[in-house]
Amino acid sequence: MTAAGTNDTIDRPISQLFSEFADAIYTLGYRIVGDRHLAEDVVQETFIKVINALPTYRSEGPIGAWVYRIGYREAITITRRRREDPIDPTTYAVISVESGASVERDVLNLELVERLDAAMGQLSAPVRAAFTLRDIQGLSTAEVAVVLEVTESAVKMRLARAREALRVQLREYLQ
Amino acid sequence: MTLSCDDLETMLPEFLDGSISEGQESAAAEHLATCEACTAELNELEGVTKLYREHGTMHLPDDARNRIAESLGITD
Repeated sequence: MTAAGTNDTIDRPISQLFSEFADAIYTLGYRIVGDRHLAEDVVQETFIKVINALPTYRSEGPIGAWVYRIGYREAITITRRRREDPIDPTTYAVISVESGASVERDVLNLELVERLDAAMGQLSAPVRAAFTLRDIQGLSTAEVAVVLEVTESAVKMRLARAREALRVQLREYLQ
Repeated sequence: MTLSCDDLETMLPEFLDGSISEGQESAAAEHLATCEACTAELNELEGVTKLYREHGTMHLPDDARNRIAESLGITD
């Protein structure tokens, strides 16, 4: 079992896939488009495509990687539609204040969450995607390469760029 | 193999991913044992991942989850 799921999941009902990957696609969508309502759209559009394509899906690896790939494409499509790449960090921070008011977010961590969002908003969408999939969601570098349809070397370069930029931006939290 | 700080910096992505070769890993460990600057950089890079793992995951709000599930015809 990997973060992207197992190979033998083709017979799983759509409700199980939705239950298993909705949060992950929402996280990926939010980290790429920087807007929680648009991230909800990413989830919805992703699973519409999953439902439509599932009957002809041919297992060539973890089904999660396939779901992530659809989610990534949807998020990029929405990002292009908005023509906001990179995200305005100020906008990103405002979104975080809203998110921080929800039960999932500890109010005491609001400032930190804002800083994390703002720092990530400085990165390009492909770099944010690589960092989200590898470092937040725990996919392997090989799995991230499959999802993003790039080489593992390209993933490593994006990860190095993301980690170094975030390290510089967040140094006060890393002591 | 003796590494410089620049050598180590180019190896850090693989080091962090655990995809480094055994020989390179022992050389990196040897360098880190005596270099405070590189150790600090490595700790900070690991700290970035830790911060986002702990605080960067989002949860689809229940109202959105229910609305989307309903629109997709998904029932538990």
